[in-house]
Amino acid sequence: MKIRTLRLLTREGAANVYKNKLMSAASMVTITTTLFILGLVLLIIVNVITNLEAKKRDLQVKFYLRVEATRLEQEEVAIFIENCRATGVVTAYEYESREQAYENAKKNLQNESLMEGLTPDNFSEGYFVTLANPNDSDQFIAKLKLLSGVNPKWITYPKQELERITGIVRVFNYAAIFVLVVLMVISILLISNTIRLTVFARRKEIEIMKYVGANDWFIRFPFIIEGMIIGLLGALLAYLLTSQAYGWIVDGLNNLFSSIMITNLELMKFDQFAIRILVVNIIFGMTIGVIGSFMSVKKHLDV
Amino acid sequence: MIKFVDTTKIYSNGAVGVKNITLSIEKGEFVFVIGASGSGKSTFLKLIMHEETPTEGEVYVNGYSVHNMPRSEIPYLRRSLGVVFQDFRLLPNKTAYENVAFAMQIVEALPREIRRQVPLALGLVGLSKKAKAYPGQLSGGEQQRVVLARALVNNPAVLIADEPTGNLDPKTSLEIMDLLDEINQRGTTVIVATHEKSIVDAMKKRVIMLDRGELVSDVKRGQYTNED
Repeated sequence: MKIRTLRLLTREGAANVYKNKLMSAASMVTITTTLFILGLVLLIIVNVITNLEAKKRDLQVKFYLRVEATRLEQEEVAIFIENCRATGVVTAYEYESREQAYENAKKNLQNESLMEGLTPDNFSEGYFVTLANPNDSDQFIAKLKLLSGVNPKWITYPKQELERITGIVRVFNYAAIFVLVVLMVISILLISNTIRLTVFARRKEIEIMKYVGANDWFIRFPFIIEGMIIGLLGALLAYLLTSQAYGWIVDGLNNLFSSIMITNLELMKFDQFAIRILVVNIIFGMTIGVIGSFMSVKKHLDV
Repeated sequence: MIKFVDTTKIYSNGAVGVKNITLSIEKGEFVFVIGASGSGKSTFLKLIMHEETPTEGEVYVNGYSVHNMPRSEIPYLRRSLGVVFQDFRLLPNKTAYENVAFAMQIVEALPREIRRQVPLALGLVGLSKKAKAYPGQLSGGEQQRVVLARALVNNPAVLIADEPTGNLDPKTSLEIMDLLDEINQRGTTVIVATHEKSIVDAMKKRVIMLDRGELVSDVKRGQYTNED
């Protein structure tokens, strides 16, 4: 097909959006509704996932040196940790000296008599390390074990908790994909129904085009452009609705949670997703529109 | 040009469309296809347009063999035909000019060509002044002229008309027939299905008569002899 024909048919499709105002509006509302629901569901899922990821980052690797570690060995560990922080593997760490360990122990024990005969020299230095990426923990621990100053029995990492959180994150990821697919299918069905009505109303027209010798693409193309434009408009409208509604939801939740004294809930700002939501909406809206048109015209082309 | 070789069309419900028809229509001929309703006139034309396919035999149209024709070729066959219908079949939301131009856009004609040819075609059918009118604003006769202009604008080798005067009064009918005759004089093969006796008798052209799907007579300079 030649460029000028494509241009002609594009203009035709665009004009049809306006000529069939009522049907266009009906299709647009369908797309807007689905994308709006889709947007909110995705935002909720993203929020849950971000909160869980943040929780994951708070999990710390704890390890202690051997009591009899030499000064050289202690320095070796200190340099290793500093290096790790310099290269970005470790985001932050806390150091606990023998004296601090002794004091902490004394504080935590109710019965001071248990501490009798113990001096700070009986305690060992400890490190509480936050990793940049919790998935690096195995590798990090393996490296620690190579250091002679570290007591390999006293390296702890809440592995189970990490795995549980990772599992939950995975479930939410799947849920996101599931919701995406289901809503996509539903909206394609709805939209193709609406467009089918438009096409049905115009089947005479299609028939005439066929008799005059138009090929399938010539007839299909304007409908597809029509679907695309309707999808795009629906997507933009859904984007506006989503941003408004999300703002209200965040305000509401923050008020609710602060009133019941939960303050560590990290709700994302809409701006952080604005572009992504917009892009997802546009891609989905236009795909739904195009597939819907394609399916509905198909039936009437066999003349 | 157009050739039926022992062509039979039986519809899926068992109704006979046409039965064992063998005939040929040469370039430049003017042919009436006549017969009562149900005689197979429409089937005959539909077979030419590839709206229906024969159950037996062959149909050749402008070098295309209709049998086993791939779907993608059908538009090209139809573009080599100009078609006029009893119920006009104009696109309602396009003006007369746009309706005629549409036939050219389909064959991807140059815009310059379209601007040149469409007014000529509208002029030929005497509708230059109504180019901007929509079908709803035109009388039946005027609409049929637009259809004629549309059918002619691509200079088809064959013009097919199915009851072109069926919805028109006698005076307008004669005007349309005059136009068809004029088109025929310019070298286009014209095939007209009709059951209007007066027109057929007045024109003195080749007459093909069908009855219950069968070819009962084929007469040069014939008349409508079948009395209903």
